[in-house]
Amino acid sequence: MSASSPAVPDPADAALRGPSARERRARVWQMVQLAPIMAVLVLLFGGALVLAVLQSLGFAPWFGVNTFPDFGYFGALWGSSTFWVSLGLTLYYATVSTAIALVFGVLLALALVKIFPGKTFYKYLYKLPLMIPYTVGIALAVLMLSNGGMLSRLAAFAGLIDDPAQFPQILKTHYGWGIIAVYVWKQTPFITLAVYAVLLGIGRETEEAAAILGANRRTIFFRVTLPQILPGVVSSTLICFAFNVGAFEAPFILGGGFPDTLPVVAWRYFNDADYTLQLQGMATVVSIGLVAGVILFGYLAAYRRFERRMGRN
Amino acid sequence: MATKSDTSLSSRLSPFQRFYLIVIAGFILGPFIPLLIQSFAFRWAWPDLLPGTWWLEQRGKSMMPLAWDYVLSPYSRVWEATVNTVAIGLIVTVICLAICLPAARVLAREKFRGKSAFEFFLSLPLIVPEAAIGIALLMMFIRLGLAGSYVGIIVAHLIPTIPYMVRMLTAVYQGLGRDFEEQAMILGASRWQVLRLVTLPMLLPGVVAGALFTFLVSTNIFLLTFFLGQGQIVTLPTLLFSKIAGGTLDASAAGITLIVTLPGIILLIISERFIKEEAFGKGFGN
Repeated sequence: MSASSPAVPDPADAALRGPSARERRARVWQMVQLAPIMAVLVLLFGGALVLAVLQSLGFAPWFGVNTFPDFGYFGALWGSSTFWVSLGLTLYYATVSTAIALVFGVLLALALVKIFPGKTFYKYLYKLPLMIPYTVGIALAVLMLSNGGMLSRLAAFAGLIDDPAQFPQILKTHYGWGIIAVYVWKQTPFITLAVYAVLLGIGRETEEAAAILGANRRTIFFRVTLPQILPGVVSSTLICFAFNVGAFEAPFILGGGFPDTLPVVAWRYFNDADYTLQLQGMATVVSIGLVAGVILFGYLAAYRRFERRMGRN
Repeated sequence: MATKSDTSLSSRLSPFQRFYLIVIAGFILGPFIPLLIQSFAFRWAWPDLLPGTWWLEQRGKSMMPLAWDYVLSPYSRVWEATVNTVAIGLIVTVICLAICLPAARVLAREKFRGKSAFEFFLSLPLIVPEAAIGIALLMMFIRLGLAGSYVGIIVAHLIPTIPYMVRMLTAVYQGLGRDFEEQAMILGASRWQVLRLVTLPMLLPGVVAGALFTFLVSTNIFLLTFFLGQGQIVTLPTLLFSKIAGGTLDASAAGITLIVTLPGIILLIISERFIKEEAFGKGFGN
């Protein structure tokens, strides 16, 4: 996308408006206003993406490497079985935690629209994890879930175990329950916020109508409420999933070690003493972007198709 | 059937919901209790539910709780990290506002070809994995000499903050309408006067909300700061990361965790007044 294309006015629009000199000035003014945001995003974001793709294809003259276009780095990466294990782990953590956070978040949003004592308190409470960094969540996971942690102590208190080693290992395994717990803890509020906002917007009239027509609670949720909150659900889960795929700190600290998730793999390549491995790291980075892109576009396309079937556009 | 639909419509909580709210409160707040205890513990061996030795019993050895003595001393770099976090957050917020205000105005009011594609492009940073952007940016910044500098980090923080800011400001402009500005123009106000006396005062609540949210996002960023700071610039999230990277949490790490939580609590109390849930009704992504 170039900087000039969005500023071209609609011909029909232009015909409606006044003389062409004024029109041209307005168009320039419009471009001037859009220029800073375009500059930042195109240069930084677009530049970074283009550079990453170029490098992963063997373009790194500053290392004395320039074999562009060279698909060998992708070949080497995709040819190794550990890459696919890493990819599987990355997607597994991202999907499971997004799904759990979605269920928790929707349930919480549905409860929050009700009237109950302490509602103000809850409206503060549920946003707390949203306000603090992931690293805090990781610290809490270490404190609660490690073998010497609080849950292990509670289990000992209840007489279930008498040695820390007997506590089931939650952190640093490839099941990733520690990672998932942190993501869920941090993202349930995000999804709740998105869904709650939509619920406030739509009001309760449609649900009341359905109830009067004799629908039960289940039917009301799946046939009336869910289709209406779907835009909030889709946009918030998109963001959470993309974040989880690219997250580094939780898998780095709480993950099971080799094979790591893809962002950690890329980071290790990048910090390797052998700096030519950085190109391998770039191929990993581009792979993360590709996989996330394909999944998210598929998700969005499925959602759009559903919307069309529902008669919305 | 009739009684069933009555309960489904009730504006009160069902028993399950009441139970669920308690569980969620425990899930969110529960872990902070042992965290607070840990920061005041002197010795806390497994399987004790409370520390075997509290700091209070050992205060002959140290006037301050040991962990807090360290946390509040310059050796922990907590103060440095706090100043960095707040300063970077403020500068990012100001720059982000300056960039997004004009763009939001155009997006809210003008029609142009490729607008929906442009809007999609603006929200792309939210759905491209951060690790991909972070490592690619690091490569770029090393070439430009920006790696490990404040400028590099501030510029990088713009990427994840712009999508939220431009979205919130566009919504504000859409609510504002252009009638008031046009009336001021008709009455002879200059462009600058319109901006200063009409547009800005009416935009203010939305601008405050957007600024708070941007500041919040910036202060929470770990990955971009960690990758691009090259260990030379510590912020609260990266400081805490280095403390817990080994996978254990001692008393001083517990203290630092509490300190890192503090700005979030302050922001939560402030922002609850300015950011209304309804503002998020349109969703973020599509």
